Amino acid sequence: MERSDEIFAVLLEEIVALGHPRALVTRVDFETSEITPIASLNYPKNGVQRYRSSLFAVETPQVRILHSQEPEFVPGRGKKTSGIYYYPLIYRNRTACWEAERARGRKCVAVENFHSKLRLQLQDQVCGICEMRAYAAMVITEVAPGTTPTEIAELRALIELANRYLSRLFKVEHYHNRMVDMETIITQMQTVMESMTDPVILTDPQHRVITQNKAAERYFRLPEDVSEGRVRAVELNNLLFSAALSSMAVSGNDSSRDMTLVDAIEGDEVLFEAVSAPSFAPDGRRTGMVSVLRDVTDLRRADEELRANYDKLRQAEEVVRQDRDRLNLVIENVGDPIVVCDRDAKLALLDPRAQELLGTEKTRTAIHIRNQAILDAYITQFTYSFSDRESSPLQLVNPDTGLEVEYDARSGKIYDERGLVAYTVTVLRDLTAVRRLEQMKLERRMLEMEKFASAGRLAGTIAHEVNNPMEAIKNCIFLLTDQIKPEAAPVYDILKAETERVARIVRQMLGLYRSTAQVGNFDVNSVVEDTLLLFTRQLDRAGVRVEKELNVLPQALGSADQIRQVLSNLVVNAKDSMGPGGLLRLRTRLVRRVTSRDMIRILVADSGSGISEHVLRTMFEPFMTTKGERGTGLGLWIVKGIIENHGGKLRVRSRLGKGTVFAIELPAVQ
Amino acid sequence: MKSKPHILVVDDEPNVLVTYRLILQQQGYEVSAAISSEEAREALSKNTIDLLLCDLSLEKQENGFDVIDFARQKDPNMPTVLLTGYATQEANDHAAEMGIPVLFKPIDIRELLETISGLLRENYEQHEATG
Repeated sequence: MERSDEIFAVLLEEIVALGHPRALVTRVDFETSEITPIASLNYPKNGVQRYRSSLFAVETPQVRILHSQEPEFVPGRGKKTSGIYYYPLIYRNRTACWEAERARGRKCVAVENFHSKLRLQLQDQVCGICEMRAYAAMVITEVAPGTTPTEIAELRALIELANRYLSRLFKVEHYHNRMVDMETIITQMQTVMESMTDPVILTDPQHRVITQNKAAERYFRLPEDVSEGRVRAVELNNLLFSAALSSMAVSGNDSSRDMTLVDAIEGDEVLFEAVSAPSFAPDGRRTGMVSVLRDVTDLRRADEELRANYDKLRQAEEVVRQDRDRLNLVIENVGDPIVVCDRDAKLALLDPRAQELLGTEKTRTAIHIRNQAILDAYITQFTYSFSDRESSPLQLVNPDTGLEVEYDARSGKIYDERGLVAYTVTVLRDLTAVRRLEQMKLERRMLEMEKFASAGRLAGTIAHEVNNPMEAIKNCIFLLTDQIKPEAAPVYDILKAETERVARIVRQMLGLYRSTAQVGNFDVNSVVEDTLLLFTRQLDRAGVRVEKELNVLPQALGSADQIRQVLSNLVVNAKDSMGPGGLLRLRTRLVRRVTSRDMIRILVADSGSGISEHVLRTMFEPFMTTKGERGTGLGLWIVKGIIENHGGKLRVRSRLGKGTVFAIELPAVQ
Repeated sequence: MKSKPHILVVDDEPNVLVTYRLILQQQGYEVSAAISSEEAREALSKNTIDLLLCDLSLEKQENGFDVIDFARQKDPNMPTVLLTGYATQEANDHAAEMGIPVLFKPIDIRELLETISGLLRENYEQHEATG
């Protein structure tokens, strides 16, 4: 009230200027009901103290006149004064305050005071609308002697004028104070806003930003050093945000939205949950929205991670389950007994076959117990040994037959993450069964060889029987030379050619079984050279290149002629499988064997068309040919026969379109 | 030296025997033919034979070597060719020991004729040398 109080000093001076000796102003404090002098002129230092009073002292003229609200002249006696003029200053105004004006129909205290004809209720001097505390003061003037009623009226007019100014001033001051208060509140609110780490934004009904805190500026205000990317980011953020606001405003009940904004400084994408609430004016108008954005990136990420981890866990669980099922399946189908023991060599898992050997608690017999004792001893020894793997023969007894069975026990260790033995796995291979299988394989092989030999013998017999009649036919053809009429010549030629072909077949078939050729020691390398020399022209014509790598060899034992026949056959086959540009490679080397005789290996490799799997299976059988009319179908059959007669081996590897390799092994002379 | 060399052909297959005879006659030789070892011995006894062409397999009891042995008793240097469709290792070795060339059926006629003429020339030259 200090500012409005300044008017009292002016008023008092004006009163004294009218000729009155002195005057003072007292004011009512509504809270304490005290009446205190607040300004005075021409009074001695303590001269105003007798006007100190209280609202309850109604017998004093001052309080009585305050309550009556009517100025009054109280005559008195004195040298300098004719009496005292009391004028109550009450806050009153013809027009309502702004707030009251906005809240139409409600009355401001100033207006009420102005219109009131009743005795003023001093305790109620608070405006119901703007909450302004009205003032009540008293101007007390010691009137100069000889003052006329006109002069009194003049005084009254002066004070009335002052009161009008005062009430206006008071109102202004009130609003000023209100403004200061509001500024304080705004500052406080801003402090609250700024102290929030989440972006807070106030928007108007058109979703324009009224104010925002620093956290929000990061996303919605262009930074100083604008780069284009940031400008776009901020624009996009604003767009997204106002879109979210619009949609929330339209849907009404939905007050939260998720949106992804880009941090204009860091450039990171941040997921926000925007919670907005409309703000209202006192009259109920909507003034905009208050939005708080909560950074839920971490929350969502954590949520997603949690979900992902859960899924991973589920998957891992599934994998483990599948693994376990698969392992069980393997164990059940391995066919050999499997025994899994823990780190203390105690049984952890048995497959059905192992169970047959060791029995179950219900079915255990002496044989089972004996088997288990043998196995326990072995596994215990292995578990505490330093080796990772071990194998050992074990003599167990088949509980069904009572017969001893020789097993090959193979064991391995499974370690836990600390490197300690977690489990041992032991697989028991029934060696008797393995040996039986090997025996069967050998028998099958011998059977095949027998088949091959008997086929050869049959072929030999047939050839022999065919041989003599053919000899006669051949001789007849020879005798008829030069005696054929020219028109019969083509028929004669066919007869001659076909007979030659039969002769060739017979010769080859017999060739395998008449071991007439010289048997002895011979040099494989020179046989290879001879063969190549024989085919040099043919290979040249076919455009086939030859590469040979002949290493130093010991002598071979056998028939050089037959081996030459073998190589010729293979070289011709190789040549036939290749076009121009083909490569024929011949390589010889010694393969040293520790346990058996050293072998001489001859490789005949071509870069030809290769041999299909189907043909590979049957190509060593007689009368199999892929060459049609040109072939006898006996070449490879004879090759195989010769090599086997030599105690050698013949193997073939082939890839379609890549080529074929024949590998011959012949025993070397020690 | 007679004008025509006399060749004895021994083979138990009549048609083979006939055709050999015809071929050899065509080549200008004098030819006797025997279908069995018995006939062969008879022919060897009666005639002067310059060359023996003998099949290995004859009747069941005897084979070509019997005929050859008989001929060699008469003339240890009798030029001989052994014909065979199916020779065992022993037969082969035996022929080699005796210095007798072996021809395998089916026989290449040109090779047969070359072998015969070769042997005859060799034998003739030896006779000339020894006198």
